[in-house]
Amino acid sequence: MSTLLFAAASGAYGAKIHTPHIDYLSILPILIMMGGAVLLVTASSLFRQVMGVGSATFITVGTAIATLVAALFQWDHVVTHGAKVTIAGSIAYDGFSVFIQIVVAIAMLLTALIADGYLKREGIDGPEFHVLAMLSASGAMLMGSANDLIVIFLGLEILSIALYVLAAFNHKRAESGEAALKYFVLGAFSSAVFVYGIALVYGATGSSNLPQIADYLSKNVVASNGVLLAGLALLLVGFGFKIAAVPFHMWSPDVYQGSPSPVTGLMAAIAKAGAFAALLRVFVSSFGTLRADWQPIVWGIAILSLVVGAFAALVQKDIKRMMAYSSINHAGFILLGVQAATVRGVSASLYYLFAYMFMVIGTFAVITVVARDGDSGHQLTDYRGLGKRQPLLALAFAVLLLAQAGAPFTTGFLAKFTVVAAAVDIHSYALAVIAMASAAVAAFFYLRVVVAMYSPVGAVGDLSDLDAGELDAGPISVASPANAPVSVHGQNDAVASLSVLTEGPPTSAVADRMVRVPGLTTVAIGLSVGFTIVFGIIPGPIVDFAHQATLLFT
Amino acid sequence: MLHLTYLIILLPLVGFAVQVLFGRRLGDPVAGAVATIFVGASFIVSVGVFFDLLAVHGAVRSFTQNLWTWIPVGGMQIHAGLYVDPLSMTMVLFVTGISALIHLYSIGYMKGDRDYPKFFLYLNLFVASMLILVLGNNLLVTYVGWEGVGTCSYLLVAFWFTRETAAVAGKKAFIYNRIGDAGFIAAAFLTFDKVGSLDYSVIFANVGKIGTANITAICLLLMVGVAAKSAQIPLFPWLADAMEGPTPVSALIHAATMVTAGVYLLCRVNPLLHASPDAAWIVALIGAATAFVAATIACAQNDIKKVLAYSTVSQLGYMVLAIGAGAYEAAIFLMVAHAFFKGLLFLGSGSVIHGLHDEQDLKRMGNLRVYMPITFVTFGIGWLAIAGVPPLSGFWAKGDVLDNAWAAHPALWVVGIFTALLTAYYMSRLSGLAFFGQDRWKNKVAVGADADMPDAHHAAGPIPEPHESKWVMTLPLIVLAVLAAAGGVMAFATPHLSLARWVDPVFSGSLYNDHETTSTIWKLSTLDAVVAVIGVFIGLRLWITRADRPKLEWAFLRQSWYFNEIFDAIIGRPGARLAQFTSTVIEDKVIDGAVDGTGALVRRTGMALRRVQTGYVRNYALWIVVGIVALFAFMLTRTWWA
Amino acid sequence: MAAVMHGVLLAATATGHASLVDWGTFVVAAAIVLSGAIGVVVARNPVHSALMLVMTLFGIAVLFVLQRDDFLAAVQVIVYAGAIVVLFLFVIMFLGVDRDENIATEPLRGQRPLAVALVALGVTGLLLLGEVSKWTTGALSVAGSTDSSTSNVAQLGTSVYTTYLFPFEVTSALLVIAVVGAVALARRPPAVVTAPDPDDELVDESAPAAADAHQEVTP
Repeated sequence: MSTLLFAAASGAYGAKIHTPHIDYLSILPILIMMGGAVLLVTASSLFRQVMGVGSATFITVGTAIATLVAALFQWDHVVTHGAKVTIAGSIAYDGFSVFIQIVVAIAMLLTALIADGYLKREGIDGPEFHVLAMLSASGAMLMGSANDLIVIFLGLEILSIALYVLAAFNHKRAESGEAALKYFVLGAFSSAVFVYGIALVYGATGSSNLPQIADYLSKNVVASNGVLLAGLALLLVGFGFKIAAVPFHMWSPDVYQGSPSPVTGLMAAIAKAGAFAALLRVFVSSFGTLRADWQPIVWGIAILSLVVGAFAALVQKDIKRMMAYSSINHAGFILLGVQAATVRGVSASLYYLFAYMFMVIGTFAVITVVARDGDSGHQLTDYRGLGKRQPLLALAFAVLLLAQAGAPFTTGFLAKFTVVAAAVDIHSYALAVIAMASAAVAAFFYLRVVVAMYSPVGAVGDLSDLDAGELDAGPISVASPANAPVSVHGQNDAVASLSVLTEGPPTSAVADRMVRVPGLTTVAIGLSVGFTIVFGIIPGPIVDFAHQATLLFT
Repeated sequence: MLHLTYLIILLPLVGFAVQVLFGRRLGDPVAGAVATIFVGASFIVSVGVFFDLLAVHGAVRSFTQNLWTWIPVGGMQIHAGLYVDPLSMTMVLFVTGISALIHLYSIGYMKGDRDYPKFFLYLNLFVASMLILVLGNNLLVTYVGWEGVGTCSYLLVAFWFTRETAAVAGKKAFIYNRIGDAGFIAAAFLTFDKVGSLDYSVIFANVGKIGTANITAICLLLMVGVAAKSAQIPLFPWLADAMEGPTPVSALIHAATMVTAGVYLLCRVNPLLHASPDAAWIVALIGAATAFVAATIACAQNDIKKVLAYSTVSQLGYMVLAIGAGAYEAAIFLMVAHAFFKGLLFLGSGSVIHGLHDEQDLKRMGNLRVYMPITFVTFGIGWLAIAGVPPLSGFWAKGDVLDNAWAAHPALWVVGIFTALLTAYYMSRLSGLAFFGQDRWKNKVAVGADADMPDAHHAAGPIPEPHESKWVMTLPLIVLAVLAAAGGVMAFATPHLSLARWVDPVFSGSLYNDHETTSTIWKLSTLDAVVAVIGVFIGLRLWITRADRPKLEWAFLRQSWYFNEIFDAIIGRPGARLAQFTSTVIEDKVIDGAVDGTGALVRRTGMALRRVQTGYVRNYALWIVVGIVALFAFMLTRTWWA
Repeated sequence: MAAVMHGVLLAATATGHASLVDWGTFVVAAAIVLSGAIGVVVARNPVHSALMLVMTLFGIAVLFVLQRDDFLAAVQVIVYAGAIVVLFLFVIMFLGVDRDENIATEPLRGQRPLAVALVALGVTGLLLLGEVSKWTTGALSVAGSTDSSTSNVAQLGTSVYTTYLFPFEVTSALLVIAVVGAVALARRPPAVVTAPDPDDELVDESAPAAADAHQEVTP
């Protein structure tokens, strides 16, 4: 509290500063998440010798669970006492924010479980991994709670900067560093654009506080206010970058591919959750009156994301790149709910985020273990025969992929159904039709992986000719120019030839072996699949949850 | 225990999950035992629920358990709900009870099979699906079960899929059932359109608003589903082929439970059927015709399981006839009794087949009563029961149906009584050939072996001496024999406990035993008994002495009235020609062109998108700027030119 | 060009002090900022780039003074121009990358003209949008008018500890990330394959150009 004393002392002419009341409950999950990170970093530097990966995981899992419990407690509180704005208007304490806290906390929990096995396998000694992941998660949670553009920006930066470092975490892979650098540079660029957007909005409305902006817009008829609209556009660009919507998506295939697999899962889940939460809050609640100005833009971005995501994923050989485009496609779907900007649309988007979080983290959990030592086995061919070797793992993966494709009796189906229904509700028929068509196209590439898993090793011709070509070309094609820049540094040749020796081509010799699935990863996969199936069959509770979260929206 | 109703479904489902996860590890015979225990537990819970339901007082004893909101989208609120009333309870009791027995039997029967755990996995899934079908409180939940049992039936018929006939039979069963499913789903759509709900209670409360023509349409569409599932004319041929499945499957699915799903569905929607006399008449006629046609076919079959299969079709015809006549209670009575004796007969035949080392040809059996006494005695009880010899259960159940047929229209009764005669005859023929006469299984070549036995899959030759089966197989036989013998008690035990009284409140529009006086019923019953005895006498008399009587086995009947050929001619061959046309002209020229075009377009689009992905950060940033410029351009249209 | 001038004028009037001196100061400072920013990008020598950055930051400090934000102007000079850019220079010299980079060749066809054109288009769009704007009137900043007798530092302090208390406190998380991230990246054992130098990130915007120059992609 020394800061407060200092503030009082330096107060102008001894005038007393009325510091705002701090409602600790409203930021409790964020505090726990950040506190866990600080605790872990402290503990790990004090007890470096005795602390292994396991104890770091233990602390992280404990923190995530504590966060989840706090968020559930908050939920109870919000339901009984109603939503409010706390800490001088910086924080919105409502069902919507609590929903995001819960989603992110669960994402953190699952990621910690997956990362444990990954770090041990890759021989990466690093409590810092968990520290950064927790801080990143706290940033996403902050974005969900933020009630002020400045706070949103800070949340965005906390989320992003930690992710930049996490992307670079596997120093044994050149791609990892490359991914981080690309992500960082483009992220900084988009952040600059975002801040510029905030500045313009501030200039046009006189406040960065969301309710005050809404208040200003409702009291002043601001027909054709160019600066405000420019600000809106730039904010959309910033959000569009984070959620990887077309045309701000270019970073995501490279970054998804290069980042360590558990990080990719975390990135996909929490960056989307945080950015969409802020996007929904800013645009639906604050700029709701300017709906006519931004809805067409979201409409266009949604269509581009749906189409580009689905089609580009079709021609990918690397499963992580494919998942990147798939996540672009998913972003398009969630944008359907944003575009609707109705209660139904917002609750559909929230439901989608929740369902997607489980699906994508589960998927990347499987990708992590199948990639084997070195995190390199990401080609479709690496999945050949998985159904035979490890039927349960293959079944889990198939379920998760089919769920992403929107198969009935999974959460993925209802997620797609609800956003499309929300779009139909506001008569965006074209959008709904394109969304469904893109889902049909997307189903193809998900099924391609499933087919690969259940086809024998070395079988050629059951997949598209692209794969046949890839098989012929052998390992060099892993770094083939058409498939974008894996290891494209000056030492290109060295990397490529090394990959022949160490990473190995995805041919029978390596692919025949069983992959080891660590116990904690099994738990994470089990949780993801379980959620996806159980709440696919019994969707009621989660749908109600998302709906209630929307109703408690400030 | 009423609130534990969900357990009835959950237990077999858990059994299924256990089999999926650990089936291989449990192996033979533990996997079978585990599966049996789960189904047995389900039966015990059912009994508990039954007694609780008995204790419920009121006009209609019923209990609805809403598990969760299944499809909570806007105005469409579909609950996953269970509905327990005397009708569904009766079904649940005999489905779980008989399933448990047949699971037990299968432990012995499937011993040594390569896919032993898989068999029990399917079986448990089947039981769960069947219970979902029975307990669903709306058409959609019922449909889930309906599809589930159809799928399990397909998987189990084609269980020995390496045998081509089995694979084909599975496919046939599946396709016939799909036709029926289309009818079912169309009926459900029509209902939803007219009522706005799929809940039975809501539908029945609004029967008056639907309009007679619509009700008739719904009933007839449902009848399409029923005809496929319960093997009625014209969709019955799949059932005989379904005998390719393991015998316990035939007993459980294709005799006792799944095929009665259609009958159950008709009973469930009785208020609709009651509101549409036209539909009821059509149902009655289809039932009567099926009963008769199938009985005639059964007289000329040589495969022991095919005789039983056609007999099942015939008995199902009786049930449908009873429903058409408005006597739902009689249909339910026959359904339960039939489940006992037909389950018994199938298991008995399985025991015979097992004892003869997979021989199914009646002409290669004979005199088995000496070698398999328990099987003989129990099978004999089943035989006399289905023949309608008093005082066994079949006599009471069939008599009930015939009395009501008489009440509805004497013509229906005439067909029914003649069918009863045929039933007694062909069952006696079967028993005569199998258990009496010469030890023909010693012969090298079957007597009168003919071409209609495509499933005579092993070379003819002497068969090792038959042996009696183990206790896991004979115990279910004995239990079912007792039930088949004493099942008639259900009809008249006490005024309060009779089956008819118990289920009667469910059927608001029942015409059961409305018109006939007691003396008429006495006369009719006596006639039934006489006919049964005559049939048995003729059957035994003819077939014990000689196994080879081609004059009595018309090709017309052997070939099932050429139903398969007729289907082939009117659907199969034109269909094949259409398919040929499609594949050569439409597929090659039109679709392939379009698909190739689309594929190429997709690939080219994907490739183009991939080329955009250069890998250069500054290039990516450029795209962001493109986006910014585009957004600004749009915003300009909103300000300058707005 | 008229539009640009107009925009500048608009921005100047927005400060509420549309006197000629203010206007002239603004134009000069803005020119310094812009030319410095362009210089950062086009300078061949990283050291020159860093110096250009100092110029930009000074220009911004002048703009702050123009807004009566004396405190921020001081902070701008001391922290950014004084500390951060000096750190940049240290790193540049420490790594020995203070040689000229060849940025004349651009492997991507059309990248540069497109970049120039698009940025020009974007700026034009922004100015056109500014043309039809209605700026808010009333309080110029949340903390109150800069004309009041309260000192600038006090105003800033008050708003940091009241309205912006939470954002202010939460930036500490960023600092934690920076420390942990730097440790995590710097402490790595010698890489098996030569990964892109993690320290690149410290060089900020100039780094990507350097890293990209190595890329050999033949699309």
